[in-house]
Amino acid sequence: MGDTFTKSMAALHTWAGVTIGALLFAIFWMGTLSVFSNEIDRWMLPDTRLEARDAATAPSLDRIAQAVVPGVPAGARQWRVDLPTARTPVVEFSYRGADGAEHGRLLDPSSYAFLPPQGSAGATGFIVPFHYHLHLNWMETGKWLVGVAAMTMLVMLVSGVIVHKKIIAQFFTFRPRKRLQRSALDLHNLTGVLALPFHFAIALSGLVIFMTIYFPQSYYGAYGSTAKDKAAFTAEAYGRYTRKPANAPGPLASLDAMRDRAEREWRGGQPYFVRVWNPGDANSYVELRRSYAHDMTMNLDQIYFDAATGEVLARFEAGPVMTVQRFFSGLHFVRFERWTLRWLYFLGGISGCVMIATGFLFWLEGRRARHAKHGLAGVAVVEGLTIGSVTGILLATSALFVANRLLPADAGYAGVDRAGMEIRVFYLVWVLAFCHAWGRCTRAWREQLWAIAGLCVLAVGLNWVTTGEHVLKALAQGQFAVAGMDLGLFATALLAMMALRRIKRA
Amino acid sequence: MPRAAGATVTALRVLGAVCGGYALTALTVAVGAVALSRAGMARSEAVALAAMLGFVLYLVLLLWGFSVRRVGRLWLGFGAGAAVMWALWRLLD
Repeated sequence: MGDTFTKSMAALHTWAGVTIGALLFAIFWMGTLSVFSNEIDRWMLPDTRLEARDAATAPSLDRIAQAVVPGVPAGARQWRVDLPTARTPVVEFSYRGADGAEHGRLLDPSSYAFLPPQGSAGATGFIVPFHYHLHLNWMETGKWLVGVAAMTMLVMLVSGVIVHKKIIAQFFTFRPRKRLQRSALDLHNLTGVLALPFHFAIALSGLVIFMTIYFPQSYYGAYGSTAKDKAAFTAEAYGRYTRKPANAPGPLASLDAMRDRAEREWRGGQPYFVRVWNPGDANSYVELRRSYAHDMTMNLDQIYFDAATGEVLARFEAGPVMTVQRFFSGLHFVRFERWTLRWLYFLGGISGCVMIATGFLFWLEGRRARHAKHGLAGVAVVEGLTIGSVTGILLATSALFVANRLLPADAGYAGVDRAGMEIRVFYLVWVLAFCHAWGRCTRAWREQLWAIAGLCVLAVGLNWVTTGEHVLKALAQGQFAVAGMDLGLFATALLAMMALRRIKRA
Repeated sequence: MPRAAGATVTALRVLGAVCGGYALTALTVAVGAVALSRAGMARSEAVALAAMLGFVLYLVLLLWGFSVRRVGRLWLGFGAGAAVMWALWRLLD
């Protein structure tokens, strides 16, 4: 490709960007929102806007069990509770029925009462999974597409650095008032270089999380290729204790006693979830996993207890290499409670979005005149793709938030429940945005930016009307997640208006 | 170069770098895991280490595949690499 190394890298950078950029933008946008997924959850699930609790007043596991066990059907394979954290003030209860399907409810940790069904997947149920599997679950298609995008991102970062030799100079160069093409390239280089370490680490760590998906044969040589070999590898690498049900009834001993035991074993480490396997069976066992709320590394520490006696059955801790793997995972998941870092991740994500969008703009502006002169369709096609994937996904996300506040609690249509309808609104608006973009060409930028600004302001208003909470009230009550989300929506509207002004001068 | 021939060369290069590079990487990961476990590493750890390094190897192979002058050399290089890995696999098995 190209006569010199630099030229071949330039061609690679350009064409990899044009083909994968749209997918990459969607992943980056959803990933950026995922940094604040729990906070967006509070906004989207108003019943969960409970007062945050500190770790010292952890709810009683036995009281939780009393509340949830009657709701677990006979023959269920497991039930699980995720305990409240500084960012999630509710208990998340779920069980897997005999058919393997998962069901969930939320519980107030102060009253031990179930909250009403929320009718929304929230950010953790829709936006976060979109980020890593695009909701395409068949044969792991979504995860593979995300993996291709992440690998392309790494290739583009390296080729981008090689193409831009005057990297230090470009680091300090931003000419916002020049021609759009010049400004777009400056901004592309600025965000690309400034956040280069972040972008590289985030793409690589994303791949490392799913290493067993992307190298599905990695254990074939060391273990073998059967399902049993895979189970052996998973158990040795990630830890897993199993015991067959006895098919005779059995009791459940005190979970609080098991927690005390686990905390002693972990020298003060606290569990973040509790899972009861084969509930009600004489061979039932309880799994506790240690929290990583204050660590970068997402430890795999787990302890298994006999459900009837409370005796320890098995313990697991990751080996050194797997600890490195979990460090990379933690680097990507941002589950630790550090607000400064969380905001830096958010800004890093935004810089990635800006980098991808301005890369597209530079490609378009560089070819617009020539393609028009020679009657080529390239610019028209790529411009529609760019608008649909950049402003289109912002528009669809704003519509998701509006639908979240607008749909009545009992909404449902043709077998789709309220949560499903919210998600359908997202996809419908996204598809329409693509159609609009290809139909209206360059004018679509302006129209979609207006729509984004309008929907964001509308979402803030609807939150006020439907929950009675506005920014000042939320701040006064310490509901920083809700206030932050409202302010974020305002900021998005403001940025859309600024982009509109800039386009006018282009 | 005529247009059709140019398109074929480009297709061969993309196919070679993306799919060939992946195949060679996946093979190296599996063989590397065996080699590391033979060297005394716990086998689950060996698999994890080989898989993580696989992403870096794939990145290098991709960049080489797209920058190497002649597309024939790309296929030759990856083919030779795969043959070496295959021989190692036989040897370790």
